[in-house]
This record gives sequence, C-alpha cells and structure tokens, in this order.
Amino acid sequence: MKKAPHELREIAGWMAATGIGFLELRMPGATVRLGRRGDEVVTLDDGPRSDEAPVAHPPGATNRFGPPVDTVSSASLGEFLHAHPCATAPFVRTGARVQAGQMLGLLRIGVLLLPVTASRAGTVAAVRVEDGATVGYGAALVDLHPL
Amino acid sequence: MIEILSNAALATVQDLGRLGSLRFGVGTAGAMDDLALAAGNLLLGNEAGAAGIEIPVFPFKVRFAEDCVFALTGADCGARLDMAPLLPWWSHRARAGQVLTLGLPQGAQRASRAVLCLPGGVDVPQVLGSRSTQMRGAFGGHEGRALRKGDVLRAADPGRACRTGFGLVPPAIALPLDIDGLVALRVLPGAEYLGFETASRAAFWDGEWRITAQSDRYGYRLSGAALRPVAAMELRSHGIVPGVIQVPHSGQPIIQMRDAQPSGGYPKFGTVIEADLWRLGQAPIGSRIRFIEVDWDQAVAALEQKQAWLAKVARMVALQHSAPTGVSA
Repeated sequence: MKKAPHELREIAGWMAATGIGFLELRMPGATVRLGRRGDEVVTLDDGPRSDEAPVAHPPGATNRFGPPVDTVSSASLGEFLHAHPCATAPFVRTGARVQAGQMLGLLRIGVLLLPVTASRAGTVAAVRVEDGATVGYGAALVDLHPL
Repeated sequence: MIEILSNAALATVQDLGRLGSLRFGVGTAGAMDDLALAAGNLLLGNEAGAAGIEIPVFPFKVRFAEDCVFALTGADCGARLDMAPLLPWWSHRARAGQVLTLGLPQGAQRASRAVLCLPGGVDVPQVLGSRSTQMRGAFGGHEGRALRKGDVLRAADPGRACRTGFGLVPPAIALPLDIDGLVALRVLPGAEYLGFETASRAAFWDGEWRITAQSDRYGYRLSGAALRPVAAMELRSHGIVPGVIQVPHSGQPIIQMRDAQPSGGYPKFGTVIEADLWRLGQAPIGSRIRFIEVDWDQAVAALEQKQAWLAKVARMVALQHSAPTGVSA
C-alpha cells in the first residue's frame, strides 16, 4: 500500500502526537522510515518506489484450511482495546455475529479512541491481538468469516 | 434545533462560568464538570468554553429537529439514539427526527452529570460575558432557568459537518485520583484552618466524608467526624469562591459549588483546588470522598496538568478532524 504524501503527513502527525520516535513502513518496492528530529517528524530516507498498490491483508483472502477469512487491520498505530475503558464487557467475542460497520474494538492513541469496525457482516473467527497490546499500522486485529 | 422531551429537572445551559463579576455580587455558575464540557466542545471543534447542556437527572430525552452532530461526555448514561446504543465520551451524528435518551449513570466509575455539546455551542445570549444559567439571579442560559419539557434550543452552527464517530479516554481514567478506591480531592488549608482543634484537623485528612442528600449546584453538605474549633469563631461576611470548605456550628463541612453565593461568614477550613472541582462535581450523592492536603505549588501544578490534558485533546482531535482519508478501520 503505497502512501501518498498527504498520508505520510498524517502518519507523521500521529507519531508526533503519540511520542513514537521511529517508524518504518515496509511496502513491496518501497520502504519509508520516519524519525524524530527535535519536535519534528522527518523522513529519514526513501526506498525505491513502486507504482503497484499491493495490500497487506487483501479482503476476502482465502484460508487454505478453512472457510474464507476477512481480516480487519489497524488503520493507525496505537493500543488495541477489546472494551471501552468505561465498560468491562468486550465489544465482541469469538463466534459473535456482527453486522457491517459494527464496533469490534477501539484503537487508543494517547487521549484519543478510534473505532475498529467490521468491514462486512460475518462471524468473529478470532481476535488476533491481546487487549491493551500496542499495534502498528496495518496489524491484523480481528478475523471475520464473512456471511 | 433540539426539543426537550422529558421533564428535564435541573438540566441547565452552562459554559465555563461567569468570571469577573464576583465584585458585583454575581456568582460564577458554570459547568460542575468543566473538563467534560471543554472536552465535549473540543470533540466537535468548538471553543472549549462554548455553552453545553448539563444533565443531572435521568432519564433525559431530546429530539433532533434536523441532522446534527453532537458530543456526549461526563457521566456514562447508557445513551441511545433511537434504539442504537451510544458510547460515552464520543462524538455522534443524529438525523432529523432521531431521539437521544440518557438513562441512569452506570459503570464502575459512576458519575452523576452528563454533558451534551452541540456544534458551535448552545445558542443562547451572553449575559455579563457568559452563557451560564445564573439560577439565583434568574438570568443567563435559557431564559435564566432550568430546562423544561417542550423547550427548544438551537446550536450556534447547526450545519457543521465535522468528522464524528471517535472519542476520548475519560479523564476519570486518564487523570485518576483516589485513596482506597474513594474519589480524592486536593485541598489547600484555609484562613481559619489553624483555628480548629488538632484532632479535628487530623480527622479531616484521615477520615471518609459522605456527600449528603443536601447537596446540589450551590454546595455539597458533607457528613463525617465533626470539626471542632479551638474557640468559637465569629466572622463578618467575606468573599468566597467555589471550592471553599466552610464549617458551620454543627461541625459538618459545606463545600461551595458553582452556584454558590459570592459571600459568606462561616470559618473557612480549606479550599478544594480548582483543578479538582470537576471530580467533586461528578461525585454522586451518597458517595464517600477523601481529602489530600496540598500547597500552592502543588495546586498550580495540578491545574497545569489538567490544562495539558485539554491541550492534548485539542491537538489530537484537530488531527482527526483534518485527516483526509480517515484513520478509522
């Protein structure tokens, strides 16, 4: 997934806000390293570019040993939460049926909470990340069996 | 426009308070949980001090007359938009005709007041530099009174199209302060502190205090071990501010809150620091609280910590509002 300049600026903004010092984005044909110089987030170097737009977790990828699995991946770096901080019950458990757009978890970035939602209707095959774990951009969070 | 559908007992329009008018005998009023109001406003891209609706009694119901973004902060009230459950400390979007219902506060950190913010703030006139409801003087806010069923309120910028569907880690979790599981408040010793018996002073810091049913926006009456003066103190009336802890003859302290009158004559045992008034504003009737003694520098540091949290919220929300593609999954 090649990043347009505005997307890189966006990622740099998140880095500045979260206090993360170094981030490497590896994409087929290109690697971008972002680092901190004082209060600024700068591009440390730029690997060879590719015009392809491969996707780390293609929608509808087929699991060789079972039914097709759709992976919901992290759209940012942050901490993956199974439940809202005010609640004790998780948004979903393995086996739960979910509708498209339904909340599966939250991504905590500093003071902010962002929704992680189901890309389509299905059942939860697996929650792949522990509650409270720090995840990177594009990390696989939840597997869904599409309905 | 929103229309109040419930008998909205004691719900009022509040901003961060009417500051600078104490010399005219006009109290500050303002949100009991100023952090919830400021954060709710920031979620919508409002000025932190825009007017919102403070809701202390449930259920509370409003109907949106047109499509409108809104933010819910403060007490987690199991809110619903029509039938759909809503997260607390979150920005939402209502379509014309939808009904927002707030139920009883819930959760482990049960708070007592919810705050509803609207785009641009609630559009009521400024009086003496503030939109807060001044209950004693019957001015400010919406017609100088608490909201009633059938009232219609306008948002100052109803058509605003800002990104919604994200939220904040509530400050009760992000900035916790408790002793043995009880909400704790930091207190500066007051002018008459040394006029109380040593044992009473020790009991104040070491004991638990219950918030009695005689507690509201004007003040909280506490019950606990009576605070005894060394000798009876008779004072002329003098200026007081929200947070001042007075001790009447009963020895049971009263903490002045946002609608406090601006003067009083009881001895002042201490003052709950400005940075912690929101914690007290959310402490439910019947709950128990503790006090922590601090000095001036610690009180100022606490205020700076609170302001730093709000600055972080403003910065992160601005990033989220300006993100071109959306960072939600």
